[in-house]
Amino acid sequence: MALKERPKPFLLPEYCKGCGRCIDACAKDCITLSDQVNSLTGLIPVVLDLTNCNACGLCMDACPEPYGLRPAEEGPHQKFELEDPAKLFGVRPSDAPEPVDVPAQVLPLAATEPLVIKGTYASAIGAILAGCRHVYGYPITPSTEGAELMARFLPKLDGTFLQAVSEVAAVNMMYGTAGAGLPTMTFTSSPGFSLMLEGVSYMIGSELPGVFVDVMRGGPGLGNIAPEQSDIKLACHGLGHGNTQAIVLAPSTPQEMLDLTILAFELSFKYRNPVVILSDGYLGQMTGKVKLPGTLRKPGVPKWAVYGDAEHRKNVISSIYLTESDLEAHNVHLNSKYEAMGSEARSEAYLCDDADVVLVACNTPARTAKGAVQELRHQGVKAGLFRPITLWPFPIDALKSALQGASRLVVVEASAGQLEDEVRLALSRAGVRDYPEIESVRRMGGILPQQDEITTRVLSRKGVLA
Amino acid sequence: MSKASVIYDKFDRHSHAQGLKGHATHYCPGCGHGLAHKFLAEAIDELGVQDRTVAVSPVGCSVFLYYYFDVGNTQAAHGRAAVVALGHKFANPNSVVVSYQGDGDLASIGLAETIATAQLGAPITVIFINNAIYGMTGGQMAPTTLMGQSSSTSPTGRNISNGQPMKMAEIIAGLDGPIYVERVALYDAKQRIRAKKAIQKALRLQVEGRGYSFIEVLAECPTHLKMSPEETEMWVRDFMQPVFPLGVLKDMTVDPWFKPNPPSFDGNLILSLTGATYEHPVRHCEGFPTHLAPHDISLKLAGSGGDGAQTAAMLIARSAINEGFDATHIPSYGPESRGGTSYADVHVAAEEVLNPGSPNPQVLIAFNAPSLAKFGPSVRKGGVVIYDSTVVSEAPVLDPSIKVFPVPFTGIATDLGKAVVKNIVALGALQAATGIFPKETFLTAIRVALKDKCALVPLNEEAFAWGIKSVEALAQ
Repeated sequence: MALKERPKPFLLPEYCKGCGRCIDACAKDCITLSDQVNSLTGLIPVVLDLTNCNACGLCMDACPEPYGLRPAEEGPHQKFELEDPAKLFGVRPSDAPEPVDVPAQVLPLAATEPLVIKGTYASAIGAILAGCRHVYGYPITPSTEGAELMARFLPKLDGTFLQAVSEVAAVNMMYGTAGAGLPTMTFTSSPGFSLMLEGVSYMIGSELPGVFVDVMRGGPGLGNIAPEQSDIKLACHGLGHGNTQAIVLAPSTPQEMLDLTILAFELSFKYRNPVVILSDGYLGQMTGKVKLPGTLRKPGVPKWAVYGDAEHRKNVISSIYLTESDLEAHNVHLNSKYEAMGSEARSEAYLCDDADVVLVACNTPARTAKGAVQELRHQGVKAGLFRPITLWPFPIDALKSALQGASRLVVVEASAGQLEDEVRLALSRAGVRDYPEIESVRRMGGILPQQDEITTRVLSRKGVLA
Repeated sequence: MSKASVIYDKFDRHSHAQGLKGHATHYCPGCGHGLAHKFLAEAIDELGVQDRTVAVSPVGCSVFLYYYFDVGNTQAAHGRAAVVALGHKFANPNSVVVSYQGDGDLASIGLAETIATAQLGAPITVIFINNAIYGMTGGQMAPTTLMGQSSSTSPTGRNISNGQPMKMAEIIAGLDGPIYVERVALYDAKQRIRAKKAIQKALRLQVEGRGYSFIEVLAECPTHLKMSPEETEMWVRDFMQPVFPLGVLKDMTVDPWFKPNPPSFDGNLILSLTGATYEHPVRHCEGFPTHLAPHDISLKLAGSGGDGAQTAAMLIARSAINEGFDATHIPSYGPESRGGTSYADVHVAAEEVLNPGSPNPQVLIAFNAPSLAKFGPSVRKGGVVIYDSTVVSEAPVLDPSIKVFPVPFTGIATDLGKAVVKNIVALGALQAATGIFPKETFLTAIRVALKDKCALVPLNEEAFAWGIKSVEALAQ
């Protein structure tokens, strides 16, 4: 008899919240609210009188709690109410083995002639060679060509380029792909990067890799589409809410757009953290000579990735730590990563060894500053250029060496002092008290400092010529 | 029914499973989430897809969905669950991805993501819990709050100045992307059976790779509606249901289509996409054109969009790099897509271009009168100006040290039958006027650029030759 084979319900009162959904579901009026508060929960559970129960099961269907009304099976289950629930249900959600890293493969790439391509293309090709096949973005000048190239290339490589409804959506698509442990990136420009910062904070909190190429343009607000170094502050100190940091790379040639994009993916996975590439409107659009590397990468699957299989579903991608001490411990862990990232500081010192005047510049202004150094040397001034390649962490040790023997320090930038602030903060944090007064050559609004502006500034001070 | 196996044996993530939290949800008594979780868990069990399922927890009361489901779990920012789900789906096409969202998440802050994802139509499953109120933040007005319903941010009842409730299932069903949209409820045994079936179907359509499904679940929030659980069930039936009618709003028959190939990492394929070449181009220069400048030559090409200034600039840069020099090209456009200003700064350097901008060029190629008027005076002393004499009737007076070459770019190109080759005429004129590179250097770059359009090579060669001839004629 089918009816008799169906199980009747049973209930541990501790797991009943007394919502009473089962009471109206029962056609036989077997269920009533208790008249006593359960001492463990402080709630009033239902009580079952199964005399008239025909085991229809509707009460169990109506119960919202997974461990609420459940089928009473035969035998030892009758003793459930006498046992400690923790013993009954085990302690671990899974006894599957721990997931392990599936390593990335490095494959050879045939040697070719240098490409003659613009910076955004170089970055896009770098990303493809770094193994990135998932790119999400929203068109914004002057970064869009990177996305356009991806839209052309990725379908031919069975990859995904998706134009998102907004930058907010794009960064969260990256979050989804990164959670599966795969390389992902976007191209954006200043206003778009602002919009993405919510997602960047979540990616840092959830420890997800991803590469953001921000082709900086003039601001604030809509500003214009000409080059400015307008997001140094944002990338180094304002990556959304909370205790966030990411490695910030500042290329200065199309070649570096490619090289640093490849590096960005590597660092992003090494630290499970986003990496920001700050380019500028000139560099994004600028065509130049770009040599390709001798290898490409086929990504693996990191052990922390989320998939549905028994091993990987132990992982969770989340930035919530509801218990204060858990969140504090998470931040301590993030801080230890940020500290470890200090070893990634990179820079280039050009003719700084004997320099009396050290220029500090990055991105396109660093090229111009290099030209200025050559011109100043030509005129007998011992000038040098210090170019930070990582803006965060700032290469302070290298700057200290570059400044040995320098009597002047000139920061050349296309912003209102955002690079200078990084220099000052790095010097301060490193406890350097004795450094030359900082002079500046600044342009804004989409105008880059020109070589003659730099040389004029340097030469304007008396006694500069030996 | 008995606990689905997809539900964890113990909720370790719920306050470290202390005390009863190891087996009790964080939901209030009578909350609809528990039932929706249960039906989803049962559907995953019944379809046998636990090993492929990834659930996206939203922000809202169901933020802790990952406490309970023994599947792959990702927790998303407020409103972004659907696009996080897409990001996972494209990374892992074999996965079964569920975006589980409440009304604030899906119908307010995440509206753009919700609609765009639905219209995209990629096979994911969206479970939308509509309880007409904000739960997690404590009883504020939701986009689905009913007219007249009071909440902490509509204390006298929602009125016309708060706008009217969002009928998400109808909105989603009105899009082309989704294949299955149903609204269900939980208030009695019959509705619960329908809800369970709908959730299972929505998941099955994804498992089969057919498309995007959306299930709106009218759920109870006794706490913030300030009613008993039983009264809330009746309220959903009597007040919510008339505004949000139950039933299937869209159910299309679609063949399975979502079967992406795994991505390719074929290096040769990548190289062919980039247009990379393997052979070193023949060099025609004997050395850097020091007769123009010792290390670095600065050029500017200026015209309107469509004049081909950028292409010509690119060809100069490629020619230089083929010859082993360094070169850069920076374009600059006006806001118009066509017909606006279009300028290109080009540098050719013996070693390394240090100043890629050309505010004071040595060579200016002007395609129209405004460009000539604007940049002519910025050309360095001893420089070269080449302009389109077809469209510029009167040249401005420039420094006498500047060599000026009026060449009818447009006229020649039109005579050749294609006005678009005027930029190649200009390149020919540049070659003849400056001798920056040998003719063959330019012709090689032109042929490489046209390697996929070989039929156009003779026309371009002819245009180039006419540019040279015009300058030579001026010299005579």
